[in-house]
Amino acid sequence: MNVDARRARKIFQAGNGVVALAVSACLLGLFGLGYGTVPAFGRVLVPGHGAWTSAAGGKLPVSQTLSLAGLRAPVRVAFSPQGVPSVSAASDGDAFLALGYLEARFRLGEMDLERRVAEGRLAQLTGPSGVASDAFELRLGLLRTARLEWAAMPKASPAARALTAYSRGVNDYLAQVRANGQWPAQFALARVYPRDWTPVDSLAVQGELTQELDFTTTPLDYALLERSLGVRRTMQWFPVLPPNQQIPYDPGPYRKLPLAPVAGVQTAAARSSAAPAVRSAAAVVAAAARKAAATSAAAVSTASYRGAAAGCGAGCVRSRQQNPQAQAAAPSAGLARAATAILAAASALPAGQLYSAPASNAWAANGPKVAGGGAMLAGDPHLPQTLPSIWYQVALAAPGLAVSGAGVPGLPAILIGHNSRIAWSLTDTQSQATLFYAERTSPARPRQYFWDGRWRSMRVLHYTIEVRGGAARQLYVPLTVHGPVLTQDGQTVAVDWTGALGSPDEAVMLGVDEAGSFGQFRAALANWRAPALTFVYADRNGNIGAISAGYYPQVSGGDPWLPLPGTGADDVAGVIPYAAVPRGYDPRAHVLTTANQRPAGPSYPYYLGTSASFFDAGYRADAEYAYLRRHSSMQPASFAALQLSTGDQLAGLIVPKLTAALKGMPLTPLQRLARQSLASWNDQMSAGSGAASIWWTFWADYLSGVFGPWWQAAKVPVDADRSGLAVGPGQFSLDEDLQNWTLTDQRNAAFTPPPPPVAPAPGSRKPVIPPGPTPAATAMRTAFVSAVSQLSVLLGGGPGRWQWGKLHTRQFPSLTQAAALGYGPRSAGGDLWTVDAAEGGMNSEIGPSFRMIVRWKGGGASSGQSIYPGGQSENPASPWYTDLVGDWWAGTYLPMPSARQASSTAATAATGAAGAAGPGPAGAARIEWELRP
Amino acid sequence: MTADFKRLGKRGSYRLGRLRAQGVAHSQPPSPFRPRFTRRDHRWPVSVWLLGYLAGVLLIIAGAAIGWWFVPFAAGVLAGLVNWIGRWPTRIALPAVVVAAAAGWGVPLFWASLRGQPYGAQARVIAALLGLPAYSAVGVAVTLLVAAAQAVAGYWLGRALTPLPSEY
Repeated sequence: MNVDARRARKIFQAGNGVVALAVSACLLGLFGLGYGTVPAFGRVLVPGHGAWTSAAGGKLPVSQTLSLAGLRAPVRVAFSPQGVPSVSAASDGDAFLALGYLEARFRLGEMDLERRVAEGRLAQLTGPSGVASDAFELRLGLLRTARLEWAAMPKASPAARALTAYSRGVNDYLAQVRANGQWPAQFALARVYPRDWTPVDSLAVQGELTQELDFTTTPLDYALLERSLGVRRTMQWFPVLPPNQQIPYDPGPYRKLPLAPVAGVQTAAARSSAAPAVRSAAAVVAAAARKAAATSAAAVSTASYRGAAAGCGAGCVRSRQQNPQAQAAAPSAGLARAATAILAAASALPAGQLYSAPASNAWAANGPKVAGGGAMLAGDPHLPQTLPSIWYQVALAAPGLAVSGAGVPGLPAILIGHNSRIAWSLTDTQSQATLFYAERTSPARPRQYFWDGRWRSMRVLHYTIEVRGGAARQLYVPLTVHGPVLTQDGQTVAVDWTGALGSPDEAVMLGVDEAGSFGQFRAALANWRAPALTFVYADRNGNIGAISAGYYPQVSGGDPWLPLPGTGADDVAGVIPYAAVPRGYDPRAHVLTTANQRPAGPSYPYYLGTSASFFDAGYRADAEYAYLRRHSSMQPASFAALQLSTGDQLAGLIVPKLTAALKGMPLTPLQRLARQSLASWNDQMSAGSGAASIWWTFWADYLSGVFGPWWQAAKVPVDADRSGLAVGPGQFSLDEDLQNWTLTDQRNAAFTPPPPPVAPAPGSRKPVIPPGPTPAATAMRTAFVSAVSQLSVLLGGGPGRWQWGKLHTRQFPSLTQAAALGYGPRSAGGDLWTVDAAEGGMNSEIGPSFRMIVRWKGGGASSGQSIYPGGQSENPASPWYTDLVGDWWAGTYLPMPSARQASSTAATAATGAAGAAGPGPAGAARIEWELRP
Repeated sequence: MTADFKRLGKRGSYRLGRLRAQGVAHSQPPSPFRPRFTRRDHRWPVSVWLLGYLAGVLLIIAGAAIGWWFVPFAAGVLAGLVNWIGRWPTRIALPAVVVAAAAGWGVPLFWASLRGQPYGAQARVIAALLGLPAYSAVGVAVTLLVAAAQAVAGYWLGRALTPLPSEY
């Protein structure tokens, strides 16, 4: 071998070694450490470790004895065949500790995810995709509120003890997992693990739930609408009071009482006391008190609530039109820019993090309406339907506590359920809880704002957002007396949200869980602040009732549905006193229902919100009242039939008008078939109905046809917030307008469209529609022709092939965002307005998240049944992951564990007797745990 | 005519039959084909190598049992180093290393499934969480691929650290 060959050989060998070493290092680095959000494949996939360990959680638990630190006495847990645990403890503390352990055992990933979202630490787990959420939440301040709430909570109070015991139970499980390494797969893959649970975490999760239910950006939408459509049209088409007829559950008479002061850990007073540069807390309190006095019920009727107090809708329009100052104060370009910036930030949040259409049903009946007398209650909160579910079902029993129902993992309480004396469910009141303030600032005074007569310094908070696989981001949050500044783009805008005040929800729910009468129930709810919810009630003595508990902020000036000036004159002056919030008790009709409709009638003397912010249009409530009034001697099956109803109340009102409008119009054979299909339709949005497809497509086209030209002419910035600004079904104000005009005002000026801003292209042809007898009839004919044309193109053939289920599906996505771990999409009936609601678009991901019916029989015995789409375990490998979906879909229910039985079991446990757990709700052999100290 | 008949039988002439140039050694007839999988010059009997191979698989299994995810890589390095002595051809050694690594991680998965752990369902979950088609086979395949990739890299490194064979 010559010298060159030897040299080449050496070079080759060295190069080969270097490359092999580099490749090996890279591979080992990738497999051992991961890169960015790419998992460390070696660590996470080694058999028996990493992601494989969560296979253990996929096995059903076995009967066993477990040792839990912190327990004072043994606790028995008996699982139903579906995994619903009945916990029997000798004290409340032990019961909540066991609940914490159970929820962590079966829902740790969900709990940690909710906690991360609430506390602005999502990006630690998900990487850069979570930064937008973290920035929003840190800005809004759920964590700040939670910390203040915990700091202010007396540690000897039942709520603090429950939160502490619950946290202990969660941490007992975390200690076990840290020892055995059996983390849920998502943690193992990300190699980001949960830290210990604290009471602050539970309060942050509570804040997150509050945000999902009542943080809205509607005033920003109003600002953009007023700027584009103009004040007059905006207030005509998005009025304060709904233009259609609705049935409030509290028809009055109403009480006019002075406003109640705002309490909370983050009131303006608390915020200003925390900021040295802002005026003293005492001064703020004094100012607030002055305003509260000035804004007594009498003042309310003359101030910004002139519309509501005067029972107006049109009155509000008049006030805005006739008030030149109001016109002059129409949203500026800077405010529009700020609104757009905030809406863009909100749009970047993961689905479900803000209000997107949560709606719910809850009703009760008593007396002759219930077979055999007594009372009966049904509830089905409509929330994002995810896997795992937002709900964890459980029965808790301890001396003095016997409650069965569903709670939210992370919160030690039963939110919906029954105890041995009462049953309750809840719906979102959907009142306005979010106010935006345009702060007066000056370039000469950076980080200052003008409030209550002088310039004040903003307090600026600094946060570091840690990002998995990326660089940390810095976030600075200025605070004004109103709340956090959400943007300074074009205009400094701060938000004043009742959810940021803090709400003693845990204490309230413990009171509700232990209440035994309507008086106790009402007293327990007195301290509920946020989110404003309507609690529906039925008891063993045959009484029914409802209360819309919570804070309804009342401002001392301005129009609260718009961003308000932040100089102080339009600040929150107080809230509706608890004695005056909407409520009902043993109505003469023996039925009562809430379905997110405006809870009170037009003469209610306080401001609750507008038709767009954000009450339901009332169609579900109408359907429920119609059913309940029509039926007597109802059984649980009667309530179940109503919960599963897919009748569209709006269709029942509009379709006859449509068929009438089509009379005399020359139709093609296909159009004739479509008309016949509608004429013989029963208004049921069943998956197999072709008429349902025609109706829905028609209504969407009808809305677009009537309002679309106005939107185009006014250049409404729809892209800034599609859910709040786009024309379509579910834009409740517009639905109500069009319903109202179609039924009573077919010559409304809105049917005459403005000239198009852009002339149609030469050669473009639109079908010639013969004009109807009224402008509305013409618009309906046009929409009908368009609907038939669309459906024939999309689905082919005739109405026989246009099944609603081909257009409309339901899907239950996985919280992990892994599509394969979700359920569906699957063809489904229902729509936005049916009692069995399907919300969130044509592929619905929002709907009845927990169906419950509780019947109180004679003698005080109760029987409860429930179902939810999901399963008790979050582990996709577990048989309890989706085992309830089939029953939910089929409309069947499972017996709820009996609170009374659990109570007697708890008494036995307290005396130390063994074998206390009774037979399971399904009567099958059960898995039992004994938890020992 | 291509041959000059007058020169037949003379030196330097072409002879009928075998062509034989002067000074060129007589070549042996080719030996009959006998398939074999080793070089003739590997040091130890095949049985020793098989035992070593088995030990390697067991080593990977043991590593997996205690969470040492990098053992397939180490085993690959070891195989590469040892093969300097063994001189097994790459076409034999490399697949063997891949199979050993896959077996070293596949056996524990299979064993756990036999013991009632829902590893099939878990494999599907892993595949889904990784954004891959949500099939159990995919989850298992990805796992075995990670082991095999380590082993291949390790073998490459092991071979690179030893002198090149003389034929290179």
